[in-house]
Amino acid sequence: MNGANLPLLQNALTVGAILFSLGLVGILTRRNLIVMFLSAEMMLQGIAVSLVAWSRYHGDWGGHVLVIFILTVAACEAAVALVFVLQAFARTGRLDSAAWQSLREATIARTVDHELPAVDTVPPRFPTLTRAGVLPPADEDEPLQRDHV
Amino acid sequence: MIAPLFAAAVAQPLVGAAILATAASLWLLLPNGRERPAARGLGWLLGLAALAAFVAAGRRLGGLGEEAVFLVVSLVAVVSAAATIVSRSPVYAAIWFALSLAGVAGVLLVLGAQFLGVATIVVYAGAILVMFLFVLMLAQPAGLAPYDRVSNEPFLSAIAGAVLLGALSLSIGRLSAAPVTCCAPPSRATAPPAPGEDAVASAAPSAGSSAATAVATTAAADRLADQHVARLGGELFGRHLVAIEAAGVLLLVALIGAIAIVARGETERMDGDDARSGGRASR
Repeated sequence: MNGANLPLLQNALTVGAILFSLGLVGILTRRNLIVMFLSAEMMLQGIAVSLVAWSRYHGDWGGHVLVIFILTVAACEAAVALVFVLQAFARTGRLDSAAWQSLREATIARTVDHELPAVDTVPPRFPTLTRAGVLPPADEDEPLQRDHV
Repeated sequence: MIAPLFAAAVAQPLVGAAILATAASLWLLLPNGRERPAARGLGWLLGLAALAAFVAAGRRLGGLGEEAVFLVVSLVAVVSAAATIVSRSPVYAAIWFALSLAGVAGVLLVLGAQFLGVATIVVYAGAILVMFLFVLMLAQPAGLAPYDRVSNEPFLSAIAGAVLLGALSLSIGRLSAAPVTCCAPPSRATAPPAPGEDAVASAAPSAGSSAATAVATTAAADRLADQHVARLGGELFGRHLVAIEAAGVLLLVALIGAIAIVARGETERMDGDDARSGGRASR
């Protein structure tokens, strides 16, 4: 149709394919419900890039319109799914997908956690800033910040 | 499935090597409960090699400036996407995802989708991601939880991702500029639709309109660039008006549904507080 645009189309489709595959790997491997959800959003981003690339290649508005509807549905989906995540957290106290493994199929093996050290072994790295002003009086019972995020 | 992938990997060794390096890098970098600095270093090296191979295997664009901009924004998008799924802390994952969104918005801008690039930043990074971070701060325990330090089947998942990426690259590499023969050509918005005019009617170029002929002679890439946002709005509220209304109803239903679920959960929690606190203490 328009040969001059083909390299840009292929490059953009490759970027979309990489984003989609990374999102797939993320949603398959991670166990935190929120990170799984971020991976699903990343797959949607890959689709959006591909649709817009096709739209530019064909000179057609269809891809743009479809991506706008994807944005709308993703916003709704995020709202409803985060409500479910919050409810799940309220019931189990964890953001762990394996906390709901009683819902699995009968043929799927149970997820068994290996023994992990109680405290994470990787020391946290915080940005170092120049000290300014007076250090506020620290309350011994309540730390000023979390030691991890 | 596997045989054509293998043949394609032999035919395009650079892309095949890039995909394999990506899979190996993900497998090494995904959290697995142990701290292996050597494996992480090797994973980063393999990831860099995969990126370099992807860049080298990519098609060259016309202008140097366009190519440089596309390279930078797509590298930002892809690298931060990889960092999103390999970061152990979910807060860092969310922030990496924000950077990936910025890269995706840049890719959309390079592709000429001005409205969508800005809308991605506003809707995703501005609204959805803040909601994610809010829930994370509400629900995340201090310190890394055990389930953030392990992964489900990182090896098999990396293989699955590599197979998917290989299949997609295979079909992307086979694209050619030949015109589509099987189907009718897609309808094109050739001119800014007049107010009240049906967009279907505007898809057929009126013979006497000089603007329509001028637009038709320009390249497909520039066809969407002229008065981009105004014509996108015309397309949305002309041809897709019913779908826009449906999307508005969907937003309203999602809003009411989210509030209803939260409200019911709150009353349930107040009713059965004793039983549930006993259950949580046993875990």
